[in-house]
Amino acid sequence: MKELDLKIEDMSEPILNRAEHRIEEALFYALVSTELRKEEIEISSFPVAVMMVASTADKLMKKRYALAEAKRIYELLEEESEDKILEVTRVSNWKIILVDNKPPCEFALFFTDCLRNATRFQAKGWKIVNRVVSKGEVYLTTGDVTRLLQEEVHVHTEKKLDVKEKIVLPQSFTNRVERLKQAFTEHKGKIELKGFPDEVVISAFPPCVKHLYGEIASGNHLSHIERFTLTSFLTNIGMTAEEVIDLYRSLSDFKERLIRYQAEHIAGGLGSRTKYIPPRCDTLRTHRVCMDMDEICRKVRHPLAYYRRKLRTIKAEAPVE
Amino acid sequence: MSVKKIETQKFVKKKFSEYYQKHLSSIQPPTLIEKREFGFLMFKGKVMVRHQSFKDVNGLTKSLKTLVPSDAYYSSAYYERPEEKMEEKSWLGADLVFDIDADHIPTSCAKIHDTWACSNCGIVGKGVLPEECPACGEHKFDEKTWPCEVCLESAKNETVKLIDMLKQDFGFSSKETNLYFSGHRGYHVHVENEEIQLLDSMARKEIVDYIIGIGLETRLHGLIEEKLDQSRTHILTGPNLEEPGWSGRIARGTREFLSTATPNDLEDIRIKKKVIETLVQHKETILESWKEKRPWALVKGVDPASWRKIAQHGADTKSAKIDTVVTTDTHRLIRLNNTLHGKTGLKKMEVPVTGFESFDPFKSAIAFKEGTLKIIVQDAPKFRLEDQTYGPYKNQQVELPTAAALLLLCKGMAKVKEDK
Repeated sequence: MKELDLKIEDMSEPILNRAEHRIEEALFYALVSTELRKEEIEISSFPVAVMMVASTADKLMKKRYALAEAKRIYELLEEESEDKILEVTRVSNWKIILVDNKPPCEFALFFTDCLRNATRFQAKGWKIVNRVVSKGEVYLTTGDVTRLLQEEVHVHTEKKLDVKEKIVLPQSFTNRVERLKQAFTEHKGKIELKGFPDEVVISAFPPCVKHLYGEIASGNHLSHIERFTLTSFLTNIGMTAEEVIDLYRSLSDFKERLIRYQAEHIAGGLGSRTKYIPPRCDTLRTHRVCMDMDEICRKVRHPLAYYRRKLRTIKAEAPVE
Repeated sequence: MSVKKIETQKFVKKKFSEYYQKHLSSIQPPTLIEKREFGFLMFKGKVMVRHQSFKDVNGLTKSLKTLVPSDAYYSSAYYERPEEKMEEKSWLGADLVFDIDADHIPTSCAKIHDTWACSNCGIVGKGVLPEECPACGEHKFDEKTWPCEVCLESAKNETVKLIDMLKQDFGFSSKETNLYFSGHRGYHVHVENEEIQLLDSMARKEIVDYIIGIGLETRLHGLIEEKLDQSRTHILTGPNLEEPGWSGRIARGTREFLSTATPNDLEDIRIKKKVIETLVQHKETILESWKEKRPWALVKGVDPASWRKIAQHGADTKSAKIDTVVTTDTHRLIRLNNTLHGKTGLKKMEVPVTGFESFDPFKSAIAFKEGTLKIIVQDAPKFRLEDQTYGPYKNQQVELPTAAALLLLCKGMAKVKEDK
C-alpha cells in the first residue's frame, strides 16, 4: 500500500468489496477474475486483499490466494503481444530482450532471473541443462516467459502474505476477514492436513531412504548428506531422536555425543529450534542419493510425499478382517 | 598420538610459523573482508576455530601469525555479523564457488598411490578405498592420499571444461572468474559477481546440474525423430557442432567419441554388435558428415536408440566433475588464497586462466624454497617437485629440500630426524 501511496482509511466501499471478492474467488474457485473496466479499483483492491489474507495467519488460505493471483496474471498475459510482456517484465526488473535468431524462442532472459523462478518447476524441460544457455542468457518462448512471470507474482504475493507480526486492521476490514475465514473453514470441512501415524512403516519408505536405512542397519558408513536425509526423514515421520540414535549404534564409528547432537538438532530440539525436513527429490538426485526410482517416485517431489502416498496404498491393500 | 607424531607436528607448525612470519604481505584478503567469517584448523587436536571476523587484513595476518593454523579458511558467504553463531550471522549473499578434486574424478592412475589401512584388523591396501574391508568387513579406514601428477592433470581437464561453461554459457567475465590451485589435489574456481550473490541453494543446484549434465535429455536438445513431409517415415535429427550451450557440446562430444572409440568402447555403452559393425564400417563417412548434413540419419543400420546412447555418452565426456556439495552450500568455508595446505605444505595460489594449460602446481605452488631437512621416511612413492624427482623411499633416512621433506611430513609418511 505504501508503494501505491494508499492509506487504509481512504479505502472506499467498492475497493473493500472488490478485495473481499478477489479473496472469495481465490479460495473457492482457485481463480481471480479480471475487472479491467474499473482499473483504479482493480489496482487498489490487490494490496487491500493481501493485507486481509495476511491478517488471517492461515497458511492454506495464503497459499490458495497467492496461487490464484498468479494464475490471473498468466491468463491476462496469455493474450498479450511480446512487447506488452516485455513491458510487464520491466516491473520485475528482469534483464530480458527480444531475439529473432533463435526460433521458436522469442526472448533471452538473464539466467539468474530465470533460475529464481524456474527452480520451483518440476518438468525436465525447465532445467537449464535442457535449455539453450549462452553468454548468461537463457532462450525462452513467449509461453515460457509468461509462465515465469506467473511464478514471479506467486512468489511476490507469498512474500507479501508472509507477515510475522500481528496485523491490526480497522473494523470495516476485520468484519470481512472474519466472514471469509468462517466460510473457508466450512469449505474445508473435515479435510485437514493429517500428520503421520505413530508407528513407523518401513515398507512405505521411498527406495532412497530404504537403501540408507539398510546401509545403517548393516553398519555401513553414510556421507553427511545421506545421514542428514535419513535422520531428517525418520524424525519427520515420527521417530524420536532417541530411536534414531539407537539405529546409528551399529556403526563402527558411532560417537553417541555427535550423533545425539545431530539427531536432536535436525529434530528441532537444539539451537535455532528449526525442525529440518529431508531434501527434495531433485536435490537428492544431484547428490546421487536418489536410486531405484519406482512408480510412486515419478509422481512425487519429496521423500515425505512418497511416504504419505505409499501409506495410503498399504492401508488400502490391507486385508479386511 | 605417539610422541614421534607430536614432535613431527610441532616441527611442521614451526616451519609454517616461519613461513607466515616472512610472507604475511602476500596474504590477500577476500573482497569485503569485514563481512566474511574466518575459520582456522589448529595443529593441536585438529580443532576448528570458527566464527572469526576481521575489519581489515591486519587483523587477519596477526591471527595467522599468532595462531599458526594448519589450514586457514574464509566463508564464501557475506554476513551482517560474521562473528556470531550461524543462526545470528544474518546472511547477505555468497560467491559462487566450485571445487574440482581428484577424489571426485575417475583417473587413469586408479589412485594406486593412495593407501588405506583397516581400523579394525589393520590390513592395508592400495588404490580407491574399498566399500568394506576384504578381510574383516569393517567400514572404517585410515586413509593416506597422494597428490599425483595424473590426478592433478585430470582435475585440470575438468577445470578447463568448467571454465569454458562459466564463460561461454553463463557469460562470466575473466575478471569475475578466479582460478586457484587448492594446494592439494585439485582446483577451486570462485565467481564474484553481484548478480549471483543472492542465488539460493536451489538455484545453485541447477547450476551444478548444468555443469555435471545431471538431468540432461538429448531429445530436449533436438535429438528427435521428425516426420518427413507427406510421408510416414520418421527421420532422426540432432544438434550441430557450433550450436551454443549443451546442444553443441552433445554434438562435439559425439563426434570426438566416435573418432576415437574402439568396438570395445561402443560395447561398454551397450551398443549392439551389428550396429558397432556398421559404425566401424562407415566411420569416415560419419566423421565427414559433420561438415554438412550431420550424421544422425546418415547410415542405415544405426537406429535412433543407439544414436541416443552415443550422444548421451558424448555429452558425459563434456561434463565437468565438480564437487556438488561445495557449490550448493551457501555457507561454505573455503581455503584462503596464499595460505599453506596442512596436508602438503604447498600453498593455495591463484592461477591465471590464460596459460592454465602449462601451469605446473609442483613448481609454482612450492612455498618453502630454501634449505634442506633430514627426515626418516617410512613409505613414500616416487614424486616430483620442480624438476627433481625423489623416491620411492621405504624406511630410510634422507636429506631433502625443505618443500619435499615437508610434503612427506605433512602427509604423515615421514618423521623428523633430530640432530644431536
